[in-house]
Amino acid sequence: MSNFLSREQLRPNSVLETLLAEEIFDRLQQAMASDPTGFCELYRDYLSDAGESLVALRLACEQNQAETLCAKAHYLKSSSLVLGLRPVAQCCADLQELGRNGNFKAAVEKVAETAELLESVRAELERKLGPGVIPSAA
Amino acid sequence: MPNSTPIRILIADDHPVVRVGLRNMLLADSNFEVVGEAKDGAEALTLVRKIQPDVLLLDLAMPNMPGMDALRELTSEMTQTRTIVLTALIDKRQILEALQLGARGVVLKDAAAEQLSACIRAVMQGQYWLEGRPVQNLVQTLRDLAARATPPPRKTYGLTSRELEVVTLITEGCTNKDIASSFGISEETVKRHLTNIFNKIGVGNRLELALFALNHDLLPPSQPGQPA
Repeated sequence: MSNFLSREQLRPNSVLETLLAEEIFDRLQQAMASDPTGFCELYRDYLSDAGESLVALRLACEQNQAETLCAKAHYLKSSSLVLGLRPVAQCCADLQELGRNGNFKAAVEKVAETAELLESVRAELERKLGPGVIPSAA
Repeated sequence: MPNSTPIRILIADDHPVVRVGLRNMLLADSNFEVVGEAKDGAEALTLVRKIQPDVLLLDLAMPNMPGMDALRELTSEMTQTRTIVLTALIDKRQILEALQLGARGVVLKDAAAEQLSACIRAVMQGQYWLEGRPVQNLVQTLRDLAARATPPPRKTYGLTSRELEVVTLITEGCTNKDIASSFGISEETVKRHLTNIFNKIGVGNRLELALFALNHDLLPPSQPGQPA
């Protein structure tokens, strides 16, 4: 099963590795070349949804809800993988593990780490796609 | 060069961003047509029955009927739709189960951009797709997976390892004295272990305990050379 990524493989292992997997971003951009607005909207929707997921993750930690924590982490992990945001996906995988172990104290810290990562993702996407990728404040 | 009839694809994933991402990846290829999208397993089943797509891209972790349950239902219906499982991280037991339930391919979500088109084509040509490539020998692959799949952790019902050892000896017909002698502890300690075990799993005597242990897979697996 060598081509299936393990947790270790998912984890960024060098400072050179970017937040955004270029090969996935480029393929998606190429696939949507006729609809650049739609492409930007896709990542904007991701950022918007990720913000909501963070709120739900914090709440699940506060209320010691392991099942919700795992489910919300899985949800964010899924879109992060498809759009090439592997470090965020790795944080989500860690959160799932912490949720399964009922380690809410560590999960709070991991959610904070995920939030920081997403801030960097936001900046990176804005650099690549312009201000239109930033979701409007609710 | 596009085929005259595009491959009709149904996407089933609870995340709208994932569905949009996948849809756009597929629509870039004129050989593919996305004929529907489902946000959970139940909706996927309904749409498969209604639309009869060539290919179902199925997420395993969805609310309102997980993907594996939907796959099980589809298998029993002998549909012509070929299922490709999409997953974030999959363990070997899951791969094995998905293939046994009739899935024709497994693609990791972060490999979707790179592999999905090739996987769909391979599956439509009657091949299986695993580990990022077509599978040449499914029987051998299934055997390898079965050999490498880790068994699910044994349920212990909150019993400690020593209590589990006591349960094993009880099912072998050992008396308290035998058990005490076997572990080098007093019979009083054995009785305390038994009281704790009875309380934890809710049985009232040794016979009920032995039956519970046999029926709930509480005994350790047989070692090679030991009777099954």
